[in-house]
Amino acid sequence: MSRILIEMKGICKEFPGVKAVQDGLFSLEEGEIHSLIGENGAGKSTLMKVLYGMYVPEEGSIAVKGETYPSLTPKQAIGLGIGMVHQEFMLVREMTVLENIILGFEPRRGGRIDRRAALEKIEYYADTYGLRVHPDKKVEEISVGEAQRVEIIKTLYRGAEILVLDEPTAVLTPQEAEQLFCILRSMKEGGKSIVFISHKLQEVLAISDRITVMRGGKHIATVAGSSTSAPELARLMVGREVFLGGSPVPAAKGDVALSVENIFVPGEKELSKLRGVSFSVRKGEILGIAGVNGNGQSELAEAIAGLRQVQRGRVVLGGAEVQNMPPRRIREHGLSHIPEDRNQRGLDRFSDVKENLAACSVSEPPLSSLGVIRWGKVREFAEGLIRSYDIRPAGADIEASGLSGGNAQKVVVAREVSRKAEVLLASQPTRGVDIGSIETIRNELNRAKEAGAAVVLISSDLEEILSLSDRIAVMFEGRITGEVDSSEADEEKLGLLMTGGGTHV
Amino acid sequence: MYKTSWGSTLMTIILSLALGAGAILLLGYDPIEAYYQLFRGAFVGKFNIGGVMERFVPLMLTALAFAVSAKVAVFNVGVEGELYLGAIAAAWAGYAFTGLHPLVHIPLCFAVAMVASGAWGAIPGALKAYWKVNEVCVTILMNYVAIYFTSYLVGNPFSARASIPRTPTIEESARLLRILRPSRANIGLFVALGVLVLVWWMLYHTNWGYKLRHVGQNPFFSEYVGIPPKKVMIWGMILSGAIGGLAGAIEVMGIHGHFLDNFSPGIAFDGMLASLIAKNDIRMVPVLSLFLAVLKTGALGMERFTGVPKTLIDTIIAVFILLAAMEGLFAYSRRRSARSSGEEAA
Amino acid sequence: MDGLNEILSLVFNATLVRSTIRAATPILYATLACVLTQQANILNIGIEGIMIFAAFAAVTTSYFAGSWVLGLLAAIITGVVVAAFMAFAHLKAKADIFVVGMGVNMLAIAMTRFLLQRTFGVSGSFHHNDIVPMPRLNFDFGGNALLDTLFNDYSLFEPVGIVLVFVLAFILYKTVWGLRLRSVGLNPLAAETAGINVTFRKFEVMLYSGVLGGIAGAHLSLGYSRMFVENMTNGRGFMGVAAMFFGGANPFWGWIGCLIFGFADSLGSRLQSLGLPSQFILMIPYVVTVVVLTLAMMRKKRAETARKSAI
Repeated sequence: MSRILIEMKGICKEFPGVKAVQDGLFSLEEGEIHSLIGENGAGKSTLMKVLYGMYVPEEGSIAVKGETYPSLTPKQAIGLGIGMVHQEFMLVREMTVLENIILGFEPRRGGRIDRRAALEKIEYYADTYGLRVHPDKKVEEISVGEAQRVEIIKTLYRGAEILVLDEPTAVLTPQEAEQLFCILRSMKEGGKSIVFISHKLQEVLAISDRITVMRGGKHIATVAGSSTSAPELARLMVGREVFLGGSPVPAAKGDVALSVENIFVPGEKELSKLRGVSFSVRKGEILGIAGVNGNGQSELAEAIAGLRQVQRGRVVLGGAEVQNMPPRRIREHGLSHIPEDRNQRGLDRFSDVKENLAACSVSEPPLSSLGVIRWGKVREFAEGLIRSYDIRPAGADIEASGLSGGNAQKVVVAREVSRKAEVLLASQPTRGVDIGSIETIRNELNRAKEAGAAVVLISSDLEEILSLSDRIAVMFEGRITGEVDSSEADEEKLGLLMTGGGTHV
Repeated sequence: MYKTSWGSTLMTIILSLALGAGAILLLGYDPIEAYYQLFRGAFVGKFNIGGVMERFVPLMLTALAFAVSAKVAVFNVGVEGELYLGAIAAAWAGYAFTGLHPLVHIPLCFAVAMVASGAWGAIPGALKAYWKVNEVCVTILMNYVAIYFTSYLVGNPFSARASIPRTPTIEESARLLRILRPSRANIGLFVALGVLVLVWWMLYHTNWGYKLRHVGQNPFFSEYVGIPPKKVMIWGMILSGAIGGLAGAIEVMGIHGHFLDNFSPGIAFDGMLASLIAKNDIRMVPVLSLFLAVLKTGALGMERFTGVPKTLIDTIIAVFILLAAMEGLFAYSRRRSARSSGEEAA
Repeated sequence: MDGLNEILSLVFNATLVRSTIRAATPILYATLACVLTQQANILNIGIEGIMIFAAFAAVTTSYFAGSWVLGLLAAIITGVVVAAFMAFAHLKAKADIFVVGMGVNMLAIAMTRFLLQRTFGVSGSFHHNDIVPMPRLNFDFGGNALLDTLFNDYSLFEPVGIVLVFVLAFILYKTVWGLRLRSVGLNPLAAETAGINVTFRKFEVMLYSGVLGGIAGAHLSLGYSRMFVENMTNGRGFMGVAAMFFGGANPFWGWIGCLIFGFADSLGSRLQSLGLPSQFILMIPYVVTVVVLTLAMMRKKRAETARKSAI
């Protein structure tokens, strides 16, 4: 058994309203690749940011090479030989690769940058671990894969012995990911120790010596990579303690209300670009779209709602082609949309509740006439919705930023559901919402379905998908990798589809 | 967005007046006498009150123009240019059209001015809306273009061929009626106040205003609920430009009677600062504009009767603006703690 | 045709080169000051005010102390003090840098006007034979008229400004300090994780831009002219900001921007003296800058669209 480099025990980290990590446990041996897996929000990144000194934990201890610390600072962590490659690269896009690597730790001759010394050192790491980079290119000109290699060299350059990679493959193409694994293996041979955060089971199995599974901020299990399997990991990752609830209510399906036909949509990341997505939803049914965040679900919702360009393919809503129409026209064709980000999209936080509730109907009678808003009617309208959706505190004049997460989301749901549109597109409708509000919101979705609406439910919460949907489609890397009837679906099967287990590595 | 705090604004006003009193004392004058004369110079007598109104109108309108652009999240530093364009357009319409009834001629001049300056305002609005070109820098640059352009017009095609570069005098029918003679205050005051109330009403009581406000506060939300943020942003800038142009038109039609090359000593920049200190709150705009106009007008009386130089008042105004801008000065520690907890939540 | 040729030869001759440099230099110092702060992502709109304060300090000191060196020194100290105040207001008291800048500009005009009255008892402008100007550089070219017009009789800080362009470019792009400064402006988070103190850096460059603003003011009142006039910068600080934008915060391109401003200025005044409208020439630098900025952003948007495309 090799030396234990890191031993984290009893780590607790809380953000206002969320226990991100509870009793976190993690250890790293010298020369191993140790994967940390779990769903979104399982606390993987938070735990590692505690290690790197970006967060100060409320409780717990961090032992590095035998020394125990209550918390670290990034500077200390770098000094102890810990390097972290973040999901969002910490690179200056306008500067060259070389400049980015040496920033803060420049070799100098006088006040000048000693370019030759820097190049030699970079070349050494590049040759040793197969990290091909172009030192003189600007970061904005290089590929994502190369930018990641730059980040890795940067940590090595700063003397890292321990590397933490936060979801490194999330931004890579499969070929680039394969390259990355070669690099990681050669680094391991070179004596480095690596923490690999991911939620893709196949790649985790391919590369790890040990695997730690986290769920809901807690340590679930640590297993040897050679003695486990994808189904076992999937079960550990998505298993639930609290089961809110129930199974789908029976549906009376009608005609197709929304169909998406082979659409191509630009994406924020390489893997979230939609490349040929098709599905259709009938009236009176809920289609669940499952998947780990960042696989194109956000892009899909925005494309349907007219908030993102559709480059190819068709979106048919209520018999009309609506792709690339302005959002207002699409709404007029019968779409209601609960967006995934209520603070950015769903609400105007600096306006009061009544303006938020009335946002979609304020320009139509009876709330306004001849372009003049009738505030009395708006107030009546808002107070009606506040009552029937139990929004608390019940005040039409309260600024939206003053509401709790659950009540803020109820404002969005009230506005969208009360329109009784033919198609209801709900994106992560219960994310970051308290249990009570979750129930209210889910009931509203079921009620909409019973009233004959076609509901598209996009969620990364499998339990939510399973307890509401009549049919389930799974998205992975910008495509739909499988569609199953809810009666045939279980968490393991979906978990495999979600993590690419059903398709390629 | 920000909410204005009447209390802190009042504190800042008192603090800067106190600093001014200290400076007056140091210069060997009596601050109470000086401020008394300042007050008299602004409020006692028709000429003085008229003088305040004369300064108040362009200040308030340019401040309003800036506040309106801020409502659509555009930082319109170009109001000065719009003021110039509005002024020359009004002057041209004022002398080129003859034989019209004042009830036709005056609105015509206003309309020409507002169309010219509104179109000018649309340019930075469109550049920002479609390509995210920094509007601060575009509008700073466009001010010079506008001023040079009016300078060309007044020197050449629109020239009165007089000893100074100015346009011909406008027709009597385009003149705004003087009030509070012998000052140069005019019924432009009521036009300005009318516009202020109209803009406020439009912003808070019409659908169009609803769109403007929401686009500025949260363009993502606006787009999502079906408001086209880019178009609305441009319309907001057109409105802002038009108000700036109206300010210029009133200067020409009410005060000067012609367009004079380089006539504005940066009126719109004072207006912009007034609006910034008011945190672009429409209700605070007239209050702060009036405060600045009172100080500037009263300073003349103060200088005449006590010998305290009026440049000292300009200094006090600048100090007031700087103090008001430093919001963190008084509430530094509280703000810090609030911010750091907010960051962690995000 | 002859008339046209005559006009052209009156307008375009060797003296145009020197008048371009002469007009460009005060703007150049303002530009370099803005370039420095812009590299740390601070728009130094108050450079105009710094220059006015400094110009006044330079004239006053030169008049009373009888030395342009002391005048320059006083200008630099004044510039640094004003810049330090701005930095404090922006970084510590959380004031919007734009409001602070405009406020300082206003303060500078009002206060120098006030001090002009108190100190010299004049208003408008102050000139006096006791004001010692900066020296001018003269070389002996053996009476060669062309070389004389091109290279002689420059005020000291006109050639120094050109040298400074290259010095600043070297500092920004070749030294450790410059690298760190640029990272602060471009991606403060990356700078922070590399152990760089972002706020401290911002404060530091504001002080340096105060030095440059001080030189700009001193040159304006003791080199470019030999007097103090109310609001004597007359928008040169803003032109400096514009030239900085034109050059995308690069000192060399900023200098080119200044030369365009200087060229337009001297060409404009020549046309005017011939009774031709000069305004369209004077407009050119501003229009060009707007166009350059817009094209750059259009290119950026196109690249972004291409990067996100799914096809």
